[in-house]
Amino acid sequence: MPVGQLLVEGLAIGACYGFFAIAVVIIYKTSEVINFSQGGMAMISAYVAFHILTVYQYPFWLAFIITMIFAILLGVLIEYCFLRPAKHPSILGLIVITLGAEMFLVGLASWKWGAEQQYFNLPFDQSVTYEPVPGMVMNNWALAVFVVAIILMTFLFVFFKYTKLGVAMRATQQNKHAAKIMGIRTERVFAFAWGLSSLLGAVAGMFFASRAVLDPTYMMEPYMRAFAGAVLGGLMSIPGVIIGGLLMGLIENFFGFVYPHWKPIIAFVVIILVLCIRPSGLFAKHYVKKV
Amino acid sequence: MKFSRRSLFVFTVLVAFMLIPFLAHAQRSLPPGFDDNEIRIGQWGPQTGPAAPWGSVARGSKLLFDLVNEEGGIHGRKIRYIMRDDMYNPAQTVAVVKELVERVGVLAFVGGVGSATGMAVKDYLAANKIVWVGPAAADDGFVFPVNPYLFAVYPLYKDEGSILTKYIVDKLNMKKIGMLYQNDSYGKDGLEGVKSRLATYRMKLVAEVPIEPTDKDLASQILILKNAGAEAVVMFVSPSHAAIALRTSATIGFKPQWVSSNTLSDYPLMFRITGGLWEGVITGAFGELPDSMHPLMVKYREAAKRLAPGERWGVFYYAGILFADPIVEALKRVGRNLSTEALVKALNSIQKYHTIGPLINWSERQHQGSDAIQIQKCGPNGSYILLQDWTANDLATWKK
Amino acid sequence: MDMKRDYYEDIALFKSNVVLFWTVVLLLFLFAFPFFVSNYYIYLFNVIMVHVILAVGLNILVGSTGQISLGHAGFFAIGAYGTAVLMTSLQVPFFLAILIAAFIAAFFGFLLGLPALRLDGPYLAIASLGFGMTLMHIIGGIEAFGGRMGMKAPLLDIGVKQFGLQWILQTDTEKYYLILIFTVFFVVVARNILKTRVGRSFVAIRDSDIAAEVIGVNLTIYKTMAFAVSAFYAGIAGGLYGFILGFFDPFTFNMLLSIIFLVMVVVGGLGTIQGSVMGAVLITYLQFDLLKNVADVPYFGALMIYISNLWFTTIGLENFSSIAIGLIMIGIIIFEPLGMFGAWIRMKKYWMTWPF
Repeated sequence: MPVGQLLVEGLAIGACYGFFAIAVVIIYKTSEVINFSQGGMAMISAYVAFHILTVYQYPFWLAFIITMIFAILLGVLIEYCFLRPAKHPSILGLIVITLGAEMFLVGLASWKWGAEQQYFNLPFDQSVTYEPVPGMVMNNWALAVFVVAIILMTFLFVFFKYTKLGVAMRATQQNKHAAKIMGIRTERVFAFAWGLSSLLGAVAGMFFASRAVLDPTYMMEPYMRAFAGAVLGGLMSIPGVIIGGLLMGLIENFFGFVYPHWKPIIAFVVIILVLCIRPSGLFAKHYVKKV
Repeated sequence: MKFSRRSLFVFTVLVAFMLIPFLAHAQRSLPPGFDDNEIRIGQWGPQTGPAAPWGSVARGSKLLFDLVNEEGGIHGRKIRYIMRDDMYNPAQTVAVVKELVERVGVLAFVGGVGSATGMAVKDYLAANKIVWVGPAAADDGFVFPVNPYLFAVYPLYKDEGSILTKYIVDKLNMKKIGMLYQNDSYGKDGLEGVKSRLATYRMKLVAEVPIEPTDKDLASQILILKNAGAEAVVMFVSPSHAAIALRTSATIGFKPQWVSSNTLSDYPLMFRITGGLWEGVITGAFGELPDSMHPLMVKYREAAKRLAPGERWGVFYYAGILFADPIVEALKRVGRNLSTEALVKALNSIQKYHTIGPLINWSERQHQGSDAIQIQKCGPNGSYILLQDWTANDLATWKK
Repeated sequence: MDMKRDYYEDIALFKSNVVLFWTVVLLLFLFAFPFFVSNYYIYLFNVIMVHVILAVGLNILVGSTGQISLGHAGFFAIGAYGTAVLMTSLQVPFFLAILIAAFIAAFFGFLLGLPALRLDGPYLAIASLGFGMTLMHIIGGIEAFGGRMGMKAPLLDIGVKQFGLQWILQTDTEKYYLILIFTVFFVVVARNILKTRVGRSFVAIRDSDIAAEVIGVNLTIYKTMAFAVSAFYAGIAGGLYGFILGFFDPFTFNMLLSIIFLVMVVVGGLGTIQGSVMGAVLITYLQFDLLKNVADVPYFGALMIYISNLWFTTIGLENFSSIAIGLIMIGIIIFEPLGMFGAWIRMKKYWMTWPF
């Protein structure tokens, strides 16, 4: 068993799951919405980047910046058009709205760009490889994922702990009405959370697209694994979520090496088992609901 | 309890009433599939959902029928071609097929992507005597045993796996062969073909790795192949998986000779979505090359530019033409006195028929049209290099 | 108008003679339906009725008990595979086979109900989703079930072969009546379940599980029971569905199907039987028929093709159905959280008090 290589691959894809999961968690932390359309949002953003790169032929970083602006607008727009008008929706209602948004976005992308697979690449090429330790081949893509994940994690940790906006977001999550009374403009906080989350998701979406191919449903499976990783980590703590994603990548790769038949479901089996023992994930405190 | 007694009574009466139709039921006749002015031909295919890239097969057939109509139709009748989306979901396939057969009325179906989708409607079509030509999938269940109304064009995956393996062992002199296959009938048929050929050489696969259709990360699967030291890897997978497999191999420095079935023979597409890694891959092929100067290919290519400017001239697109081609030929042979029986008879008479696809031989006892593939290699910029002309599988058991 | 004076009035199957009248009219219409329409609509109606059974069952779980399941396609599959396998390999008669299969589904529902005792909201959503996918994957890995190649449903013989009785239903019309009886029966049963002690416990759990526990509802029993009952319904529906299709493979029961089931219940109206029926009819019709051929719809189709040429591609126009269903889901939650049933009630109230 090539342990070293499996470790590298597992950690690389796991970090990718992890920081896509952060996008899910940011929305969950502020508004308790599980965003099932996160995959669709990332997919549309990646397609926009692809469109700018191939049709307008802009240089990559310019296209990247335009895409990031688009992603923020998309997130804010979805919050504004689809979630804000709903009055006192239940958790189920919110899930249905985001599932609806996902179907809408996937339909829109296939209508615009067709169902055929497309090629997307980041400047961090996978074909450029190093072998620092024999048996552990690293590539630029994996290194970029690690760097981005670490930067994001630190940034978000500091953001939620020390900045005013971060504290406002946490306050909104804990009690929307109390936060409002304390002078927090909760609606703006929601819009901000959606924009930020959409941006992070778009970055993750580009990383996934440059590892696989771009098609309207390509984010479905990564989204489910990222979500599973987030649940494993507890949906609340940012470092916990990254660790959850990493665990997901490692479990899948090591297990998949031995039993390739069962690779796609091992993640979910682990999730169900973990949830049976710790209902709120590994790294979150289990809140007992008060009547 | 006064209300419930009344309701009990009502229900007893209703249920008794409902049982009547079980005893007497009249069979309704189907609308005809043709009239004096038009012949209606249908096709299902995934235009949406995960398998949507294969939807171009159904759109390709449209081009052929449009061309036929432009040339004045067949013996005074135009062809009305009706295409329906089934999302690659058998329930939807049954629905669209029933709609076309029972509401619109069709004479025949052509193409139709997918094994499960085809299996779901196969018996229904046979029972209603609807001709079905050229399913866009190779499944043993379609033509063995012979189904009088179903005519297959596509070479069997088993044969293809066997021919490709022979090429690897004899021409490339590679002994360590690994296999990457999709874990369904497509991949498993290919696996069986490869194994049967290797058995004649007294060899075994060094690794056989299944891919589930939902996998998006193939690192561990590729590592199994690398660990086994495979020199050549035979792929029976979908285009997305092939692209992921090649990109993943590049990241871990694994460079075997990739060999693949004809489902990945759309080189411009594969070259594009792998970012150039597809160069040097050997595949089977069941049609002429896209840039071939075969007169029919030139004609279709020009027609596609004119009639369907939004379409890419890819292998799956013109596969739609070659699956539909034999039925046009058969309709021409039938003449003005059209009927389902006459059409079946004409199809059975098609022998050594060769246009842009494989050589087709049908008879009353044999509806598997072709047994041969070409072997091609991807050159620079997604160009085609022909390695071996039409080759049949000498190990095929179904021909005996 | 909705005042109940005693308990029996509350549990009455027909609230008034008007309701009774319309119910009879509806049933007569359903009975006579196959005599007037082409075979295609009978097939469509078979699929719709199966979805009605499933939606009504899912509603018991989602609407009445307040739990979330994104794994119902798995129970649906157990019904289909279970019935077919029991009938082909063990020669079990149809009615017994479908019951056993539904009980197996109910058992799996019970298993999913166990973690649900401690989970809620998103955690339950992911657990049920993973559960459905795992189930499908396991079925796809069992060669006796045809693996990924799928399996063929046996002939629908509703007699008992062991006693020499044979009654094979072959046409869609014959199957229609069988499914109609199943549908009517199970819809009535679901309605009655909700009027019993069990149903009231479900509703109490939905409104507040802690309060329910305090007033003496045994959460362990009733929560798992809700899952089991709902899975039982899905199993029955799946058993019938297999015969409608004639052939199925694991991919038939994919995740999208679970989502569509949930959509039916939510669009129809949570917690009401009539709502789930309406939702199942509407969504199935939209998905299988109306939205399928957008380009052929008069005027609107031409407009869509024009828009496609302007900004999109005509090749991808078929995806309009996905867009439309997505927007319907969102619109329902925003404008009418009670679903179609809520809209119906509102309309009724409006006309009853009209012109005031």
